[in-house]
Amino acid sequence: MGSWIVRFAFVAVIVSGASYYLAFRKKEFSHLQIARYAYSLTSLAVISFCALLLSYILTHQFQYTYVWNYSSTDLPTPLLVSTFYAGQEGSFSLWALYTTIIGMILMQYSSKRGYEPEVMFVWSMILGFLLLMLIVKNPFELIWDTFPGDLLRTGAVPAGVTNFMWIDQAKGIWGQFPVEGKGLNPLLQNYWMVIHPQILFTGFSSMAVPYTFAVAGLLRKDYQSWVRVAKPWLVFGAAVLGTGIILGGYWAYETLGWGGYWGWDPVENSSLIPWLVSIAAIHTIMSQRRSGTFVKTNFSLCILCFIMVLYSTFLTRSGVLGETSVHSFVDAGMWAYWLLLGVIFFFGLFGFGLLIRRSKEMPKIPVEHSIYSREFALFIGAFLVCFAALFITIGTSSPIITNILKGKASSIDTSFYVKTTLPIGIAVALLTGLGQLLWWKNSNAKELFRSMTYPLISAVIFTGGLVFFVERDVAIILFSFASAFALFVNIMVGYRIFKGNPKFAGGAIAHIGLAFLFLGFVASARYDDKQTVSLEQGKPTEIPGGYSLTYEGNHQIDNERYGFNVEVRHGNEVYTVMPVMRYSNFTQSLMRHPDILNMYTRDFYVSPLSVETPDENAQVTMSLGKGESKELGGRTVTFVDFDFNDVEKGNMITGGEVTIGVNLVVTEKGQKHEVKPLFKRGSGGPTYVPAVLPGTGVQFTIVKMEPNREDPSKSRVEIGVTDPAGMAGKPKNETLIVEASIKPYINLVWMGTVTLVVGFIITIVRRVQEARDRPGSAPAAEV
Amino acid sequence: MKIKIIIASIVIVAAIVFGAVSFVETNVEYTDFKAAAGTHKKVQVKGEWMKDQEATFDPRTTQFIFFMKDEQGRVEKVVFDGAKPNNFEIANAVVVKGRYEEGYFHANEILTKCPSKYEADAESVKKTL
Repeated sequence: MGSWIVRFAFVAVIVSGASYYLAFRKKEFSHLQIARYAYSLTSLAVISFCALLLSYILTHQFQYTYVWNYSSTDLPTPLLVSTFYAGQEGSFSLWALYTTIIGMILMQYSSKRGYEPEVMFVWSMILGFLLLMLIVKNPFELIWDTFPGDLLRTGAVPAGVTNFMWIDQAKGIWGQFPVEGKGLNPLLQNYWMVIHPQILFTGFSSMAVPYTFAVAGLLRKDYQSWVRVAKPWLVFGAAVLGTGIILGGYWAYETLGWGGYWGWDPVENSSLIPWLVSIAAIHTIMSQRRSGTFVKTNFSLCILCFIMVLYSTFLTRSGVLGETSVHSFVDAGMWAYWLLLGVIFFFGLFGFGLLIRRSKEMPKIPVEHSIYSREFALFIGAFLVCFAALFITIGTSSPIITNILKGKASSIDTSFYVKTTLPIGIAVALLTGLGQLLWWKNSNAKELFRSMTYPLISAVIFTGGLVFFVERDVAIILFSFASAFALFVNIMVGYRIFKGNPKFAGGAIAHIGLAFLFLGFVASARYDDKQTVSLEQGKPTEIPGGYSLTYEGNHQIDNERYGFNVEVRHGNEVYTVMPVMRYSNFTQSLMRHPDILNMYTRDFYVSPLSVETPDENAQVTMSLGKGESKELGGRTVTFVDFDFNDVEKGNMITGGEVTIGVNLVVTEKGQKHEVKPLFKRGSGGPTYVPAVLPGTGVQFTIVKMEPNREDPSKSRVEIGVTDPAGMAGKPKNETLIVEASIKPYINLVWMGTVTLVVGFIITIVRRVQEARDRPGSAPAAEV
Repeated sequence: MKIKIIIASIVIVAAIVFGAVSFVETNVEYTDFKAAAGTHKKVQVKGEWMKDQEATFDPRTTQFIFFMKDEQGRVEKVVFDGAKPNNFEIANAVVVKGRYEEGYFHANEILTKCPSKYEADAESVKKTL
């Protein structure tokens, strides 16, 4: 039934779109009515099938493949709900749901400002594409259709089998379904799974709104007022998407154990790219509001923003990056690949095609601003941000690009991203400061330099301190200086604005947040002091930075997880951290979770690597030919030869004690030890005398000797090695190996984000009020 | 007006050139062990790890040592700076990124590829019946 609701929604949205188009062209109220009615039906249908899917999940209807694939009966309710969007079909459903809801708000918003037909026409097309995806990748697929070979059966139902359903009782065809689901990947089983995707998808959905307004403006040849109505949505989208991105970073930092919050992975990059484009658009729209310039730029950027959202979906869901990223959700199948590609071209051609057609008719606005103008600063800044987005796009798409150019796919090292975005970051940070000091149209150069004095001096002092104490890298020094400059300028300017009218301080506050973010990046990544430490149980181990770690022991948390308690001493303070290792049956592998001591000026981060429990009775047998070497535990064991000196002396014949030795050489990094286990045959019988490797407890014992008299080079020997762990220098007690790192001032990153979002919110409040005060005075569209 | 165009053009050209150079420089090619041995660049090699050979973590040097066969069939020792990656046991293919050094491949990244989702799924469906 669910799939029929999806198809119904698809048909309804097509009707809605067509009617809105007719309403736009013919301006008859009847079309508008039908369109609104159809859209309401669409909304109802989308909400219904989402509710249906959720109900199936909550009642464990494992006959549906999607429910079986991602949920199980042992999940707590919040996580169970979140399995709704754990897979492709579900996340497209979530996207459709948010698009529908935003559409309902958008309908009211655009209608009050006289844009409804155009906006909702485009919106219907977008929703239509999402529903089309859901028809192709059906969340309501039944499990015996996915695995017909295993689950589709004919004939009588065996006794005792209750987990089945009749497909065609007359023909005796029935399908069996599982009684338990596969479950949710343990990596996703935490509270972030409930929050992060929802925020991200809200952000993605709202990024379609500026696109809609841009196209609406083009359709009705309104080149100026659309920016005012679109602006609050743009800022909202940027705020939400930005929050979602940072939350994803925090999730990785807190849960995954590789010690960072950003890996330049395709999934991360593809949400960053549209965000950067939206930021550029926000600033160029400001310019257009002021002086009417950047008309075509603003159309292009708003269109591009949505296209990049689609492109990012394509990169991460189509499997095209499958070989080169461990993150790519490879699964889609050919249909989805071509469909997504087609959709990108469709919306891109539609938007840009319209722009090109209209651009001939657009009035030319003379450019009047000088170099010392805010317009120019905004232009360069927005331009650079777009370039950053371009670099990241190219880097992320490099497997595709190199495949086309060279015929062989290759990826790029993540250093590419840092190399290309760091210079841009420096310039943007500088402009974030300068831009606030420049006036619109033109500034007095002398006045400009005078206003820069205090922030400049403060920035120089700050950077000087940095150079003096720690930093030598030129790029980082410049970046820190630029960020500090931006920080001080915006504090100065923001304070002034705030005293005047708090609502106008959004930009300054957002820029302060950005400066904190940049400085946080530098501090936590650059001065990240990472080391791997072996902690023998009970033995305190000092690491640089004044921290002393003692591994206390482990205990079992539940049937998969083990917590490892480590006491951390720093000066007079004592803390306990408990990193966790979990062997997951779901992924058949070991998962590591760190524990973090969050302090004001730094984080102390402990991630478990492995735990070594010594096995003193372990023995390994090595078989070596004469002159042959083999490796064991990082050292090389070479069988040199037999020592038959005793034999030569003729003791064997007389029955006296005979000693035969085996000359071994154990080498490690050039250092050689001679080890000689012995075989004695005497009156009491044979005895094997082991030889101990000096500095360890490792014993070498002869197991078998095969001397070859005719060809001594073919002699062989078998040596038993006890406590091979000792070969690798492993200690006696249980030892926990951790990676400990200090991340200075990482709180700046989180603080910066919060400040940034606060700045956004203040701006949204101001712009929404503005948009309300002067209802759309757009000219009636000509046909 | 003229100055602005000049500035903008310089910035654009500089950015393009810089980007292109960085792109080529940081390119990590897919090769096999034979080619990797012949170059000092960072490369990536795809293959499978040899389950019948040593795969141990040395806590003294914090390196994970294992053996891998590339797509041409050549087996090499791989030394990875770090602990055994999370999905290593069930990985049916691995990609190692790094450089070839004296007699072994020094990897600073390992990507593990797990069995195809649908293969694994058909098995798990039967288990949960």
